[in-house]
Amino acid sequence: MPGASATPTALCVDDLRKAYPRRGREPLLAVDGVGFAAEPGQVVGLLGPNGAGKTTTIKMVCGLVRPDAGTIEVCGVDARRRPRDATRRLAAVLEGNRNLYWRLTARENLLYFMGNRGRSPRAVAPAADALLERFDLADKRDALVADLSRGMQQKLAIAVAVLAGTQVLLLDEPTLGLDVQTGDEVRRLVRELAADGRTVLLSSHDMAVVQDVCERVVVIAHGRLVADERVETLMRLFATRAYDARLGAPLTPAQAADLRRAFPLVSVSDDGLHVRVDLERGDDVYRFIDVLRRERTPMESLDRVAVRFEEVFRHLVNGDGPARGAWPADAAGAVREEVSRVG
Amino acid sequence: MWANVLRANVGKVLIEMRRYLPNTVSLVITFYVIFLAMFLGITVVGDPEAADTNVRFLLVGNAVWFLLLVGINSIGWEITTEATRGTLEQLHMSPVSPRWILLARLVGHIGAHLVIVVLMLTASMATVGTWLAVDLPLIVAVLLPMLLGVTGLAFAVAGLAIVYKQIQAMLQVSQFVFLGMAFVPLSVAPWLELAPIVKGVDMLRASLVHGVGFADLGAADWLSLVANGAAYFALGLLAYGAAERRAIARGLLGRY
Repeated sequence: MPGASATPTALCVDDLRKAYPRRGREPLLAVDGVGFAAEPGQVVGLLGPNGAGKTTTIKMVCGLVRPDAGTIEVCGVDARRRPRDATRRLAAVLEGNRNLYWRLTARENLLYFMGNRGRSPRAVAPAADALLERFDLADKRDALVADLSRGMQQKLAIAVAVLAGTQVLLLDEPTLGLDVQTGDEVRRLVRELAADGRTVLLSSHDMAVVQDVCERVVVIAHGRLVADERVETLMRLFATRAYDARLGAPLTPAQAADLRRAFPLVSVSDDGLHVRVDLERGDDVYRFIDVLRRERTPMESLDRVAVRFEEVFRHLVNGDGPARGAWPADAAGAVREEVSRVG
Repeated sequence: MWANVLRANVGKVLIEMRRYLPNTVSLVITFYVIFLAMFLGITVVGDPEAADTNVRFLLVGNAVWFLLLVGINSIGWEITTEATRGTLEQLHMSPVSPRWILLARLVGHIGAHLVIVVLMLTASMATVGTWLAVDLPLIVAVLLPMLLGVTGLAFAVAGLAIVYKQIQAMLQVSQFVFLGMAFVPLSVAPWLELAPIVKGVDMLRASLVHGVGFADLGAADWLSLVANGAAYFALGLLAYGAAERRAIARGLLGRY
């Protein structure tokens, strides 16, 4: 996978493995064969339940944890062989507001971290000031980080990473603990970064954020890759064929019984005015309407039940396929197969 | 590149010293009070015949002790704090090796505290009315290799802090080890010449207390001083490198 194309992929991770040694016990297998790639201008979500191996994966990409096996390429640079060259091409916000020096001001933090990248304060100051402006922090430039709100600290941490000017940005839980407004601002910033051509690998438990800003998601569970697909593809894959019908008159007991016989997945509300039915095959909809027509039951609306990304995620990490059956051992492969089947 | 790293870190040390001014001031006051207490001990219960030499001895010892503590231990405290804050990982994500960043910090710490030591020493000398014979070129010549050893020890402490984090108890105990290094003369324990820094302290004391000059120090003294400083600097770097590799292998750089 790495180095396959002429223009290097922004981030290419292949067959990463990491086991943490434990005294007197078997090593803890944190990441087992994870691989994915991200192109310039893409926001890729890295998802998984707690303990799935997301943070270890991100830290291996950042060079903070040494993988036992596998390859990591950042803009074509082998991060395992040339870690310093790779870090020149990526920046990360790993613990949000904890990535800053609280006794330095917002501007001092920006200049300090750039100093550690070998940049002179004079050269970087105009860009730092512009970023503070862009991140709505201009009036806080001389405020101590300790005195900023959590949201401001979070934005500043992202600004530090952005100022590094790297192609790849890794954001671990960038909206954690933020109020709605600041969360929206962070989402906007992430979208802007992608529009600038940056590659963002974003880890989050907030599915709304992921669905909103990520083009693709990489899902990890128990250290293994479960899915690596476009968000919309997964949504389509898991989209149910369930419909909500609102009726103008209640169903008769005989109609309800017929529906239950014809459709295994059907539920009727107590007042008989609402029906949720799974119309899996193409002609199911006609059979459903036939049952209503028999008693001339008027139908006011028929809406497809929208699947939420959270449900998709839950199915993926629980090992359920779209047909509610368990995935085989190669979950990611099975998802790919299912995606090509569904089209 | 290195100049910018140095500038950023020295600047950070100075800014934080200013922002944590009460902490810096209380540290200086504590050492000054300890000095006064020891001085009182010498004048009240000590041998009046040797009082003058003992006071000079105390002046040098106290200043060196202060320098050792802030130079070596401060980096240990700082690493443990940074691991808790999450900034330690950021430092390791810099294209510049963390060793250079740490070295730049140490230069800032030791440089800033050298200034404080000079001021404190001057205040102490003024208090007791005893003035040391300051041969500046000699002192600088001794300090440089000696501080190289201090830097090595600081790297070793930083390495321990990266891997074990909870080294506060060790840092607290180490102040008494530094006390011994600063005050025990080589004439009493010649084997301490192999220990870090002690040879340098002994030469400083010879110059400042007994007025020994360049001409009075032999090649063996200088060789021992430089070899000692270089050896402990190299050992410290090796220890830090090993600790860093272990931390990266086990994922210990993050918060704990």
